[in-house]
Amino acid sequence: MLRAFDKYRHSFLIGLQGNLIYRWNFAVRGFFSLFHLAVVFILWGAAFAGNDQLGGFSLNQTLTYFVTLVILTFFISAFNEDYQISEDIRNGLINQFLLKPINYFGYRFSIFLAARLVSGALILVPLLVAFPILHSHLTFPTEVWRLAVGLPAMALSAMIQFSIAYCFGMLTFWFLDIQGFVILSMAVESVLGGQMFPLDLLPGWAYGIARYLPFYYQLYFPAAIFTGRISDPNLIAQGFIIQTSWVAILLIVNQALWSRGLRRHTAVGG
Amino acid sequence: MMYYLRVWAASARYSLTRAMMFRGDLLVWSLVELFWMGVNLLTISVIYRHTNSVAGWTKYEMMLLVGTSMLIQRFLMGFFWSSLFEMGRNVRSGNFDFTLAQPGNVLFMASTRKLDLDGLMNAVIATAVVVYSVRQLGLHPGPLEIALYVFFILCGIVIHYSVLVLSISMVFWLSSAQGVEGGYFSMTEFSRLPRQAFQGIVSRTLFVYALPVVIVSNAPAATLLHGFNPALTLWLAGSAAVWFTVAIWTFHRGLRRYSSASS
Repeated sequence: MLRAFDKYRHSFLIGLQGNLIYRWNFAVRGFFSLFHLAVVFILWGAAFAGNDQLGGFSLNQTLTYFVTLVILTFFISAFNEDYQISEDIRNGLINQFLLKPINYFGYRFSIFLAARLVSGALILVPLLVAFPILHSHLTFPTEVWRLAVGLPAMALSAMIQFSIAYCFGMLTFWFLDIQGFVILSMAVESVLGGQMFPLDLLPGWAYGIARYLPFYYQLYFPAAIFTGRISDPNLIAQGFIIQTSWVAILLIVNQALWSRGLRRHTAVGG
Repeated sequence: MMYYLRVWAASARYSLTRAMMFRGDLLVWSLVELFWMGVNLLTISVIYRHTNSVAGWTKYEMMLLVGTSMLIQRFLMGFFWSSLFEMGRNVRSGNFDFTLAQPGNVLFMASTRKLDLDGLMNAVIATAVVVYSVRQLGLHPGPLEIALYVFFILCGIVIHYSVLVLSISMVFWLSSAQGVEGGYFSMTEFSRLPRQAFQGIVSRTLFVYALPVVIVSNAPAATLLHGFNPALTLWLAGSAAVWFTVAIWTFHRGLRRYSSASS
């Protein structure tokens, strides 16, 4: 058991080294996310002008939600894991995983964790720089239970994020180019994941549907717990059940795509 | 000049043939662009469910602004995005050697290798969003306003192109362009905001006056809404000239650092 874990620990360490090479790229990306926050602050500041609340939340609560989203994005979102998997399949690099006693999903997930550790640490730098401007707008709830509930939700969100990216990567067994599918999905995820606006601002029926989709659990669910947009224990419990179900469903789909994809795969060369 | 037009026409023919070979791909990418436009329009609809005005702009005025911003971006995507994005990768891999070996201006050759039909097809839909918003607002722009709007869109394309070249040129200094293209998208996010929303002195100075990202969409939209404004015209045309010069200068400075396949 420990020896099996050791393989993935080494994959994680290799991933850490690989991602540290691109630390400046992550830092630049983190810096640009400040521009995104500036857009959010300006747009929502203008939308709230003359309104104390929109959808039952104040301007500062809404801005706190968007800052939390940025932090979560760098800690748990899949960035380019789908392309990396796609490249492995196209270039035949997965052949080596077919011959060695290592699980490809486990290997990729270890690399994903390493990448998010690096990007997550690096987003803190621009946020600390911007903290003097941000801090007067941040209004996090003080209940400790939110951390106890939000952190597991965040871990499950990371699983959903990676599993969706893995599914898209697997599509390379069937399609030459997956980039179109990935960006198409990003558009859907940006709306239904709550990146464009807090999902609770949607009409009730649309919000009700969104709660049953996996995108809701990619970022919105943990962000809403941390920022106080969800407080009802029943809603949170239901959310956990749906989120865990999506993790299970996506893991099954991942395995099915891998098994069926390998049947189509042709390994060429030595 | 004619030589470069012929080169561009040849690239366009090649891209068209290629797009027809991969029709499924064209369909997916057209949907991608359409979905992203839908995302922006949906965001406006959701915000205006809860308020009547954003910085003094009504829902359809905002839609006109976003439609204009999308129109400029779709033209940029259609004409230049793929080529410049590929340039970033080629510099890293060393394949940029092939562009350098071509008989012509390096930046022109690197910018016009591919034409994306999906971006250009969606420019039609962005135009439809603009026309729909104009109708909803009950506007009747005359020939001067329409001509100015077209001129402003052209200036906008030049400015967006310059910002994109500046972002991609960073690859000459960084080990990879991964994440750097995001700089372009971060900047263009501002073009969907009304100028009046920039209340703070820092944000107004930086994003309205120092960077051209806000004026690029606000000037054409304001022309349709309020008519000809000489100051806006000079401002936008001047910005296009300055940013284009800076982009070309930065690109050539970066090019000096390019050391073939080992860079």
